[in-house]
Amino acid sequence: MMDVERSRYSVHPDSSGSGLRHSRRETALLIATTGNGYPKKSPSMPNFHEKPFKNPNVSEPVLAANGFPVGREYVAENFGVQSLTDGDASLSVIEMYGDEVESRRPELEEGRDEDAESDEVDLHTSAIPPSSTIVPNSEYFDRYGFKKQSNVITEQDYDEWWKDYSQYSVRRKHKWKILMEKSGLPMDNDSPNRFPSRSEKLKRYVRKGIPAEWRGNAWWYFARGQEKLNKNKGIYDKLLSKMDELLKAKTRLLPDLDIIERDLNRTFPDNIHFQKETFQTDDPPMIKSLRRVLVAFSLYNPKIGYCQSMNFLAGLLLLFMDEERAFWMLVIITSRYLPGVHNVNLEGVNVDQGVLMLCIKEYLPEIWHHIMPPNPSKNYSLNNGTSLLSSNDFLYKLPPITLCTASWFMSCFVGVLPIEGTLRIWDCLFYEESHFLFKISLAIFKLCEPELIKLKPPKNGIGKNNILGQRGSQISNGENEMEVFQIVQAFPKQLINPNELFDRVIFKRRFSLNKLDQDEVDRCRKYVSSQRLKYKHYSEIMGTGHRNNSNNNNNNSNGIGIVSSSSKPTDGDKMAGDIINDALSSEVYGFKKGLGGVHWNNSIKAKVRQMRKKKG
Amino acid sequence: MGNSVSRALGKLFGSREMKILMLGLDNAGKTTILYKLKLNKIRTSAPTVGFNVETVSYKNVKFNMWDVGGQERLRPLWRHYFPATTALIFVIDSHDKERLREAKEELYAIISEKEMENVILLVWANKQDLKGALKPQEVSDYLQLGLNLKNQLWCVVGSNALTGQGLVEGLSWISNNTPKK
Repeated sequence: MMDVERSRYSVHPDSSGSGLRHSRRETALLIATTGNGYPKKSPSMPNFHEKPFKNPNVSEPVLAANGFPVGREYVAENFGVQSLTDGDASLSVIEMYGDEVESRRPELEEGRDEDAESDEVDLHTSAIPPSSTIVPNSEYFDRYGFKKQSNVITEQDYDEWWKDYSQYSVRRKHKWKILMEKSGLPMDNDSPNRFPSRSEKLKRYVRKGIPAEWRGNAWWYFARGQEKLNKNKGIYDKLLSKMDELLKAKTRLLPDLDIIERDLNRTFPDNIHFQKETFQTDDPPMIKSLRRVLVAFSLYNPKIGYCQSMNFLAGLLLLFMDEERAFWMLVIITSRYLPGVHNVNLEGVNVDQGVLMLCIKEYLPEIWHHIMPPNPSKNYSLNNGTSLLSSNDFLYKLPPITLCTASWFMSCFVGVLPIEGTLRIWDCLFYEESHFLFKISLAIFKLCEPELIKLKPPKNGIGKNNILGQRGSQISNGENEMEVFQIVQAFPKQLINPNELFDRVIFKRRFSLNKLDQDEVDRCRKYVSSQRLKYKHYSEIMGTGHRNNSNNNNNNSNGIGIVSSSSKPTDGDKMAGDIINDALSSEVYGFKKGLGGVHWNNSIKAKVRQMRKKKG
Repeated sequence: MGNSVSRALGKLFGSREMKILMLGLDNAGKTTILYKLKLNKIRTSAPTVGFNVETVSYKNVKFNMWDVGGQERLRPLWRHYFPATTALIFVIDSHDKERLREAKEELYAIISEKEMENVILLVWANKQDLKGALKPQEVSDYLQLGLNLKNQLWCVVGSNALTGQGLVEGLSWISNNTPKK
């Protein structure tokens, strides 16, 4: 363990333990000291700090004392906030981190203000230090506090990418500012809380990345967070008081608390703001905020309670906004963008995987052949020679690849891609809604395509190297599957440059997958969930529920599991399967060029598009 | 290293590939073990929402290790996906005595699945470095595997994912106890 700790803090290569001991306090101190450096409000201080979060519960965290007295005082003094509570926790981390970076380069501190004054563009690079001005101590962490290095990305890889990408970020931000001014939203600080009205241009801007310092506000704005908050004023406070009460009562009335506790200190262990230092007994403020948001959510929506992956969603939100906003954003994500995905029975995630499979089949037929097991379950495939691909039984018995993609949706790509990529996806998610998650999934598959089609297509029959011969028939393509998994999992992790994903796929009109829109996804979701329901009813009526159903234990009462390639068909199953296939195949699902009977007038859309192009 | 040479040698000396499923309650240390084996590095790992799959080579044997998210709610996602598993590794947090019962129940639920009939079972009594952790023998006694498992070969090995203690021993036990062909 010591190794980890040491490497994590090797920020001070020659520092002894005592150096470490001060680093957190330093952060707080430097917030205090650099505060004086700013004549006005810190440019990137988000707006919400002006209306501080007033909550007695927050000021006296129930579970641990506040560890940041200095930070708190500072905030209170400088903003004239009397009852600001837990100020450190509500500070935007980018701001904190920016300061931290500053504090760690005392030799540069003096010249700092001049830099900021002299050059408009450079003002903002204080939060985004381009690698040309690499700050010695930010060597190991990125601007959000994440470790640059990962299992697959080295620091050199990172620095090399960042050299260009930081320039790109500065350019984009400059363009954003021009757009803001043109839209009549002049900026007197670096924390806009209103954004231009929706347009193709704005969409393109969002897709090219929202400036990092504006992200929290932009997400909040595009996801219409304020609307939600206004309708529910005071609710978060009440939830916290309730949490407080329940904790004091010491009854075990917080069923999710244990599960949440187990995940708290494992959330973003690679992020400096979430790290607990070894000598510290107290949780870092970020962890305290995370606990409050997750527990409050479990009280707010007991149907969901706490599901692993929500710690990542809330954690990432907290890096960009204050607690209350993070809470409401979590509510919005789990209801509007990912409905049912985190529910106890996970039906939402199964539905979305069904939709994704439909999308792959529709838009990436080449890949479809490689990820679809040839004969997932004999009992429900058509035996009359019809290609399996024409039937949709994969909707209720999801192909194994969905084991991999389910986590993409549950955690909204946190941890799936390097952090910058995840943030770019979040930018688009809040502007374009959930279909963007499907689109980006397709884009990832698209980029994997060359590697995937190199693999032998899955074959029917018995694999050669089965160790356990008798189970041969059950494991026809285990090997192939393994490779598919490895490709699909490893590929996004090493995709350090998000522009690769955007420029090579998302911005390319010629890829049909870019036609996918929210309407289509909504229709597909409806279709898939009704098909799954129907399947469930049929199998119940026939009394031949697939083992996935009948064997299920109570924690997944209506869930339909992943394809089990080992299921043994029975006659009853076959009958049920035929009936279901008959019933299902007569239905249509929402793709524009989908099955006969549905007419989506694509040509008009295309014509309009062409006309627009000519005009433009 | 000449890839083809090692492959040829592998054939001579019976290079094998096996699929290993690593299960256990959340926070037992599965992912930490996996990356200790794979990279010989300790990374403080985050909860696994989906799964991690890595190939670990040891001597002539290629272990395809599947590390699957442990939270109760996520278990149904992979519960019925066990094709071609040679061995099951069940990781137990020997320090978390409160959850031993839950771990035991989960282990028996899995091992009694039809697909698990022929697998061999390795239990890693993990987190041996923590003070007050149960000894492998104690974990073994608690699990009562000898009493309950009729078909499967089993073994309980103490492990410490941080130092790697017990990991290689466990894998060698697996490779020594699976049919050579």
